[in-house]
Amino acid sequence: MEGKPQDERYLEAAAAYGAALHRLAGAYEADPDRRRDLLQDVHLALWRSLASFDGRCSLRTWVYRVAHNAATSYVISQRRSRASAWIGLEEVAALADPAEGEQAAGRRHSVDRLLKLIQQLKPLDRQVILSYLEGLDAAATAEITGISPGNVATKIHRIKNLLTQRFHEGVRDAE
Amino acid sequence: MPNDDIRNLWQAQGSADAPLTLEELRKKGAKFRTTIARRNLREYAAVALMVPYFSYFAWTARLPLMRVGNGLLAAALLYMAYQLHRRASASPAHGELAWQSCLAFHRAQLERQRDALSGIWSWYLGPLIPGFATITIAIAIPLFHRSIAAGLSSFLWIVLPAIVLWQVARINKGAAAKIQRQIDELEAAESNANSGARE
Repeated sequence: MEGKPQDERYLEAAAAYGAALHRLAGAYEADPDRRRDLLQDVHLALWRSLASFDGRCSLRTWVYRVAHNAATSYVISQRRSRASAWIGLEEVAALADPAEGEQAAGRRHSVDRLLKLIQQLKPLDRQVILSYLEGLDAAATAEITGISPGNVATKIHRIKNLLTQRFHEGVRDAE
Repeated sequence: MPNDDIRNLWQAQGSADAPLTLEELRKKGAKFRTTIARRNLREYAAVALMVPYFSYFAWTARLPLMRVGNGLLAAALLYMAYQLHRRASASPAHGELAWQSCLAFHRAQLERQRDALSGIWSWYLGPLIPGFATITIAIAIPLFHRSIAAGLSSFLWIVLPAIVLWQVARINKGAAAKIQRQIDELEAAESNANSGARE
């Protein structure tokens, strides 16, 4: 990757991670118009950052760090996003599932519920759950987030329990 | 496996299409730079206009205290311009978003916000106070010679803004304390992570 022009690097990154960035923007912003703006901001931040890509980490780590950092910067600058309203994985597991008792209404419903759950989380927990959902392993997640692989593993254990508890039935019924 | 199902479901959504073409990215990048440059220019232009204005009165005012007050205001504006320049130069580099982990970046952002709130007194509003106070005293002294009531009334010009500034300081202090609590939480998460790694 080193030595490639900025535009070429960007096109490569956008082709490989464009869909993941789209999902990431949805996890940070619920409003569709603002989400579109956030996605554009993330792509702009990525394109600008790639001018100084120096191969100190993989392109994947670079892309996810830029995207999460740009999105975190966005949410903490939004006055309406009150940090006190964010909760951690521990607290979200203790909350009642708003969809409990409802008939699972298909795949779209499960994804919407999952998005709502993620949008409540503190940025760090949000980054870990998104990395897990994107299929990144603990080492890659640790490199992106800056927490140790051991701590990532603990958080992933909690995430798996939470997902099993909240979504297993919905996904199975949808199939 | 249930969690693979939800991961597959998650990964099945989202469009891979880039929301902007390269041309649009270049235009947005240029617009971003222009916006920052214009903002800085506006602030420097305000200083460039006000410094000669106060300097003129520092040179020509009849009362010595008035000269001192205007001189202090001109000096305060130059100091603010220097601080603005220093802070604008310290804005994040393009690659900073990728060089720092999410935890480190989040903490740095919060620290920047906290310092901006607490620093407003040390470099933005605070330096103007001695100049304004000196000018108010310079206005009040001749009024006191006329009548005590007239002299005291001139102090309203400093008391009322002082109350407003005190309220601003209180709100800023509260906001900075809230941000500090978030920083403490992140630091606790970081130290838990390190102790977890050692176990």
